[in-house]
Amino acid sequence: MSSPTKSFEPDSSPVRSGSAALGKNVTIKGQIFAREDLTLDGEMEGTIECHEHRLTIGPNARVQASLKAREIIIQGSIQGNVEASDKIDIRREAKLVGDIKTSRIVIEDGAYFKGSIDISKAAPPPKVVPPPQPQPAIVPPAPSSSGPAPVIATSGSLK
Amino acid sequence: MKFGSVARVNPFKPTSKDPSGSLSRHSSGFDQFCAALQVPEGGMSVLDMSGASQANIVFLTSFGHRVSSDDIMAAMQQSFGDNFHENQQSASNAQRFLDQALAFPDNSFDGILVWDALQFLVPPLIDQVVAQFLRIMRPKGVMLTFFSASEKASTLPIYSYRITDRKTLSLTPRAAAQRIQYYNNRFVEKLFENASSVKFFLTRDHLREVLVRK
Repeated sequence: MSSPTKSFEPDSSPVRSGSAALGKNVTIKGQIFAREDLTLDGEMEGTIECHEHRLTIGPNARVQASLKAREIIIQGSIQGNVEASDKIDIRREAKLVGDIKTSRIVIEDGAYFKGSIDISKAAPPPKVVPPPQPQPAIVPPAPSSSGPAPVIATSGSLK
Repeated sequence: MKFGSVARVNPFKPTSKDPSGSLSRHSSGFDQFCAALQVPEGGMSVLDMSGASQANIVFLTSFGHRVSSDDIMAAMQQSFGDNFHENQQSASNAQRFLDQALAFPDNSFDGILVWDALQFLVPPLIDQVVAQFLRIMRPKGVMLTFFSASEKASTLPIYSYRITDRKTLSLTPRAAAQRIQYYNNRFVEKLFENASSVKFFLTRDHLREVLVRK
């Protein structure tokens, strides 16, 4: 008796984006562009862009860079401007010197921050205007053979 | 935070106290400060020298203002160390403190919350710091500062100031420092002689609130 042949179908489910992590012994000079959540716990000099994702600056991180992400969690040391479209979370052990631009901010007691804060509320969703409904065509009634033709007034006089 | 070898004391009688040690007090000076910055469109620029805090940031940004934060007491401690008063007399230390704490462009701010930091500065540094604050204030800008009105206190508590609402502040003790001198009304008026107006609010808990307009 032969065993049934198993067939392997490719996984058709959507690919989930994971998260990337750079440990405390990693040093980077340059630019980082991330398309997934990113945790940085080492040293970084340059710029980090993590649009539509979360960027976590770990407790051992020493960063001299400008940061952009959807959400930024800060536990380490940053010298540079920070911009988050959604939220910035500055934890107790964090040290941030630079300007902040975000929609929401949470800062724990004990955190050190020197710089300016610009709270920009998220733009409201555009109003959805329904398309105009097509008006039904006005069709004049067909002339009746039994009665007189309808009188249509014009600018001229009837004779 | 250590400001020389000074015992912790609290000469102020708290108006109300919670178990964490914070005091809640009414502040007419802060109320007037907020009134001076009240514009329908917001967009004023405020400097808070009490160190960044959720309460202060949320309150000030709720009006649409832009907030800058720094901790001037921490900057003073870092610049002058344990010999807090003696080191202020050094020109190099004083300049380092000014460069670190007040390196803002001219006419940067519509409002500055200095809180009680000025009373811990020795002359002539206090005059230099006031001149810098007036420099970075915009015309018609306002500055709020506090001085102890208790003549007999030899040491003064250092507080973190947190905004509860427009008329109420929460004060949390951080440390204490030896008093330099008693700043009476005449001294304070002379200190701000280059401002366009100085308004005093004397409170029941022996705190002189001063609202200065450029």
